[in-house]
Amino acid sequence: MILGLLGVGALGYAVIRVAFGYPESRYQSLTRADAALVASAAEAMYPAGGAIPSSGTDADLPAYLDRFLVASVARIRILVHLLLFLVEHATLFFPAPGWNGRSRFSALSADQRVAVLDGWSESSLFVRRLVFTTLRALLTLGYFAHPPVLRALKLAPFAIDSPVVEADLLYPRIGEHPDSIRLTRADLTPPGEVTPLRLDGPIRADFSGSNE
Amino acid sequence: MSEAPTETSSAAGGSVSVFAQYDRDIDEEVDVVVVGSGPAGAVVSKELAELGKSVLLIEEGPPFVPEEFEIDGGLSMARTMREGGLRATSGTTMPTMQAIALGGGSLVNSAICNRTPDFVLERWCADYELSRTTLPDLEPHYDAVGKFLGISPTPENVQGARNLLFRDGCEALGYTSEPISRNVRGCRGSGECFTGCRTRAKQSMDISYVPAAIRAGARVLTSVRIEEIVADRRRVSAVVGRVVAPFTGKPSYQVRIRAKIVVLAAGCMATPVLLQKSGNLANRSGQVGENLQFHPGVAIMGIFPDPVNPQFGATQGYQSRQFLEDGFKLETLWAPPAITAVRLPGSGQALKDRLADIPYSAIWDAIASCNRSLGRVKAKRGTLNPTLSWHLHPKDIPILSQSLWVLAEIFFAAGARTIIPGIHGVPPEMHTLGEAEVLRTRSLKATDFVLGGNHAFCTTRMHGDPRRGVVNEMGRCHDLENLFIADTGIFPQCPSVNPMWTAMALAHREAHHIAEHL
Ligand SMILES: Cc1cc2nc3c(=O)[nH]c(=O)nc-3n(C[C@H](O)[C@H](O)[C@H](O)COP(=O)(O)OP(=O)(O)OC[C@H]3O[C@@H](n4cnc5c(N)ncnc54)[C@H](O)[C@@H]3O)c2cc1C
Ligand code: SF4
Repeated sequence: MILGLLGVGALGYAVIRVAFGYPESRYQSLTRADAALVASAAEAMYPAGGAIPSSGTDADLPAYLDRFLVASVARIRILVHLLLFLVEHATLFFPAPGWNGRSRFSALSADQRVAVLDGWSESSLFVRRLVFTTLRALLTLGYFAHPPVLRALKLAPFAIDSPVVEADLLYPRIGEHPDSIRLTRADLTPPGEVTPLRLDGPIRADFSGSNE
Repeated sequence: MSEAPTETSSAAGGSVSVFAQYDRDIDEEVDVVVVGSGPAGAVVSKELAELGKSVLLIEEGPPFVPEEFEIDGGLSMARTMREGGLRATSGTTMPTMQAIALGGGSLVNSAICNRTPDFVLERWCADYELSRTTLPDLEPHYDAVGKFLGISPTPENVQGARNLLFRDGCEALGYTSEPISRNVRGCRGSGECFTGCRTRAKQSMDISYVPAAIRAGARVLTSVRIEEIVADRRRVSAVVGRVVAPFTGKPSYQVRIRAKIVVLAAGCMATPVLLQKSGNLANRSGQVGENLQFHPGVAIMGIFPDPVNPQFGATQGYQSRQFLEDGFKLETLWAPPAITAVRLPGSGQALKDRLADIPYSAIWDAIASCNRSLGRVKAKRGTLNPTLSWHLHPKDIPILSQSLWVLAEIFFAAGARTIIPGIHGVPPEMHTLGEAEVLRTRSLKATDFVLGGNHAFCTTRMHGDPRRGVVNEMGRCHDLENLFIADTGIFPQCPSVNPMWTAMALAHREAHHIAEHL
């Protein structure tokens, strides 16, 4: 009887913990819980201020990860969802400091989240380090996809006009029919002297910040 | 199948077909069908087409034009790499990337071209009962490929500081170093080889060998995945598969190509899976999928007092072959900033402070010859993606530790103020060579290293003895007289240097051998 009640209680707690209290999701692939986890991890991993003013929140990492998952094959999507679920709920086994340390990751304070992430990154268990590295890799890819971050580091991509080569007469853009190729042999870029890019040269328009 | 009357066709009858053109099942007959358009398959196709054979080159991935290159490392990997670039071995966990694109790995690689050293080829010949695979045997094939692709040393004006600092560090220590030879024409130093060369300087197969094959009359089907090889006891008769949508892989029309000769060049991971899925074909030796080797790579980031501006410079412009006989090769490296940043330790403000050091940084890596560290490629149900297992042998660990130590030496000799080795079990940052001593004195475990393994070999290895290898030294399967393999799976051991040029030289030789016997 007591065991039964405990079992029902545990089940009820699990359902509430996993399914309730998350804001609506506006994403194609990220669930509400995924989005909450990514947003809270992003804030802890990349706080505002310092040499790079943008924060993980400014970089809208849930939107980036959603785009990444939409572009990925099903197996990767499943693995990433599992990873996010694991980090969100592993506080049950690897709690943050403080009385509420076993709450969901996304419900912890910023300091607690940093402590949890440090615990994963410095763990003696290889698997925990691997989970951390993968999560950080995903967040970092998204953080750097935010143009102001690359601009702050002076690492924005160069503006490059691609020359027209023979292959451009052969292949259309992915998904398009070759009829869409408008180039002819007359458009081929003649061989000539090629100059190295210059560090003070122009950067790609979508990274220049003029339209932000 | 409808073929558009556009310039996708050549005067000699060559053509390329893309996904949007397919509107029915495909059933054709040719002299030679080549599966896979990476460095090996592209060379075989062009050579055989030029020798007058009817050639059909089949590639699962799409062709990429510069507008399709994603500068963002994550999205780029999701589009150009198998399993979104997140493929990894089990056993010793190590990420390993294989491209899915016209041109295979050459689309995303750094174009580094090295001839396999004499001592390695001599060992191959001695240990694998080969008689015609010495350096003098391969020289004419290296030369032919080198001439076609314009392989030449990286000029100084596109090296950039992060490559030249490596040279300076080596010089200060008396270590040899040299500008890397690459299959590049007119590099501008964008450092973007990994996400696709927007300047069209890199002579990846899609803009070099494949157009030449088409010019010579070869036909190319992109977005077609071969799923099975049809064979009776001694001969293969056809390959069958499906048209697949780019990125999603969603299958549609059936494809059946009958051929006198089938050449598998689907890569070291995919070829053994195809053979296993085709009734364990060509496997009387039991070696299909076995002996998987990599050049496991480790890297160190060094921070310099003055700006390095690492965004400028050839992606990988300098190397040292000084330690090849000790089991490792050293090179400079650059990747999209996001991927570079992934290796920095910590989180929160500490991590952001480290990111701010990237403009002052250079990354140099070592690739190791770990001949004792073996793995296996196995087909799994319902997919052509393999199960990969691989174990870093404890006796190979000192090679990695030693290579990290030498990299640390070079960094400090070049004037670095800090190095970040990015491995577990040692301090995250080191500021003097004395502090870096732990890299060679501490006994490290396989799981302490952050490894990467993008050079993969040996899963259908060549061997003079049919009981111990899958193909002979011309790439012909011992068990089936008209089935050839050309990708890096045929290497009997790791080559100790970047493999692409050797894969192409062997493919060049194989094509001429096939033509003689067709
Ligand atoms: C990021 C990166 C950087 C690298 N840098 C260098 C470098 O600088 N220098 C160097 O020497 N090496 C480098 N390498 C390794 C090098 O690119 C590979 O060794 C080389 O591409 C192998 O050539 P391959 O022809 O054997 O196979 P791949 O290049 O893998 O080509 C195989 C092709 O077959 C296709 N294929 C697979 N299965 C099927 C199927 N069932 N049906 C149809 N098509 C199929 C694939 O899509 C692929 O296009 C690098 C690799 C990576 C990933
Ligand atoms: S460094 Fe840039 S310009 Fe040079 S080959 Fe690589 S991608 Fe092309």
